[in-house]
Amino acid sequence: MSEDPRILVARRYARGATVAAVAVAAAWHLGHNLAATLAAWPGYRHPWTALAAWFGYLLIGAAGAAALLRAGRPPRAVWAYAGAALAVVAAVLAACPPDQTVGAANWAWGSIGWLGVILFWRRRHHLRELFLFLGADAVLVLAWMLAAGDTGRVALARYLMLLVGSLTLQIGGAVGGHALGTAAAWAADASARRAATEAERRGAELVHADRLRRYEAVRHAAAGLLTEIAAGADPADERLRRDCAMGAARLRRLLAETDDDPGPLLRTLRAHVVDAERRGVLVTMEPPVGTVPDLPPDAVEALAAAPARALRAARTEARVTVYATPREVIVSVVADIDADSDTDTDADTGVGAAAGDEIDGADADGGTSRTAGGVEVTRQREGRSLWIQSSRPVG
Amino acid sequence: MDPEQPPGRVTLAVVEDHPVTVDGIRLWLSRDPGRRVELVAAGPTVESVLAGPGAGADVLLLDLELNGVMVVDRVAGLCADGHRVVAFSGHRDPETVLAVLDAGAAAFIAKHESPDHCVETIVAVATDRPYVTPTMAHALIADARPQRPRLSEREHLALLLWFQSMSKASVARRMGISEATVRQYIDRARVKYARIGRPAPSKAALLARAIEDGLIRPDEVGTYRSFAAGGPGPS
Repeated sequence: MSEDPRILVARRYARGATVAAVAVAAAWHLGHNLAATLAAWPGYRHPWTALAAWFGYLLIGAAGAAALLRAGRPPRAVWAYAGAALAVVAAVLAACPPDQTVGAANWAWGSIGWLGVILFWRRRHHLRELFLFLGADAVLVLAWMLAAGDTGRVALARYLMLLVGSLTLQIGGAVGGHALGTAAAWAADASARRAATEAERRGAELVHADRLRRYEAVRHAAAGLLTEIAAGADPADERLRRDCAMGAARLRRLLAETDDDPGPLLRTLRAHVVDAERRGVLVTMEPPVGTVPDLPPDAVEALAAAPARALRAARTEARVTVYATPREVIVSVVADIDADSDTDTDADTGVGAAAGDEIDGADADGGTSRTAGGVEVTRQREGRSLWIQSSRPVG
Repeated sequence: MDPEQPPGRVTLAVVEDHPVTVDGIRLWLSRDPGRRVELVAAGPTVESVLAGPGAGADVLLLDLELNGVMVVDRVAGLCADGHRVVAFSGHRDPETVLAVLDAGAAAFIAKHESPDHCVETIVAVATDRPYVTPTMAHALIADARPQRPRLSEREHLALLLWFQSMSKASVARRMGISEATVRQYIDRARVKYARIGRPAPSKAALLARAIEDGLIRPDEVGTYRSFAAGGPGPS
């Protein structure tokens, strides 16, 4: 997965809440506001103004919704839109008869809050801004009522009822939407934790299986020999001595391999070491010096190619060392390799001509060559032993 | 401290809880053509060895794990008492090696590299000369502690190649220098380590010998004299 699942889940929740807020505003405008406008049409002082206000509301809502759904946040200059929304309220007020300021015909002032919910959605101080916007709306309508003299008991009661009703719904919607975002973060956290626990469990299982395999290998390395010795095998026997030396080397290597994830380079080298041990070669593999940095697979392949060939060609003994700094990695193998088998070792390389060139290219006593993977291979012969050094800069 | 090669054989005491290992060491000593080292005492505890003739041995070979207990913390005390301690262990991680060198051990031999290096190390240590086993070379090049001495590029390279190849002749050819110069680089790196960690008579003796042998100049030593003025010299 390329992205943190927490972010993905949280984003999905956030989008759901945004779509819900837009849908409520749209449904309210298309259902309630349009019906109210048409029903009150004969009673308006200026019916076309009311209709224009309806379209104005629609435009502001559409702009806000488009910004939210596309960019995930309200449009810039949000207070300009809010001002326009208040103008819509004023227009509908003006369209209504003076004695029906808060009647059914005035659909705008109670429903404008839904625009506010969209316009201030997910802004840092969204609730404070929404309150301010709704307060301006309420003051505007109250001032209009006072100015128009529409201050009867019924009108004021209606005003208060509508105010409380719409405030409750709209602020509730805004708070709910944001709460959904918070809940999404919690849910995402919980799901990420669950995923992490699951991954840990699986990792632990792998490590456990690997350890069992290693213990089995340790048992295999020692049990047979110990049984043989206990049964009275002669310690002077050359074969027994050699088997003991091999068993000890294998045990040392297995005991030194305490890392549960050795990384691709060491894993590759160890596989070649195990192969050589199976052929009866006494291999000493020293724990790596330094920490082997992360290497791309082709770099690992190129670095391990020449050492692997040396291990395959080793007759009885080999010493493998790995030296790593943040700048370079060096793999070295010293092994007893017959001089005439050097070419044989080339023949069985599976790494490609470029990586195989260096043994061909070097003279009988040694030399240095560069291979395709940026690896420098140095080869030096000392009597029967051949020293292969494979190094590669990191990064 | 006798600056000259001991006229007789080097005497060795071994603290080792596995008799079979002591027998193995005895075998290696007997196979040394010059029979340069004589085992004078062996036992399973430090006390049992130092109670007898082991107390005066030129070199004390100490297994770092005795009866299942790590005795790394005994090294400093033994060195302060003037013993030339060579640590001998299967626990060859760089931290352990550096810890015993810091405490004053003259050398560290990993158990698996013993046949090649054991006698050479003991003979060198008996005359306060440096000897760097490949395991020590591993620890020195792996050392990333802030207090580590500054090795020259050539010293570091010689240590690395020595660790890789275990053949000074190979290192010499690779570096295009003589074997004697390779030894010099490796020994100089080792001597630099005598200047860090806890002061010990063995370190002072190593530095003094290095100056006498011309391996380092007195002005390169810095604090060596204050070490030398400290505790008793090796017996």
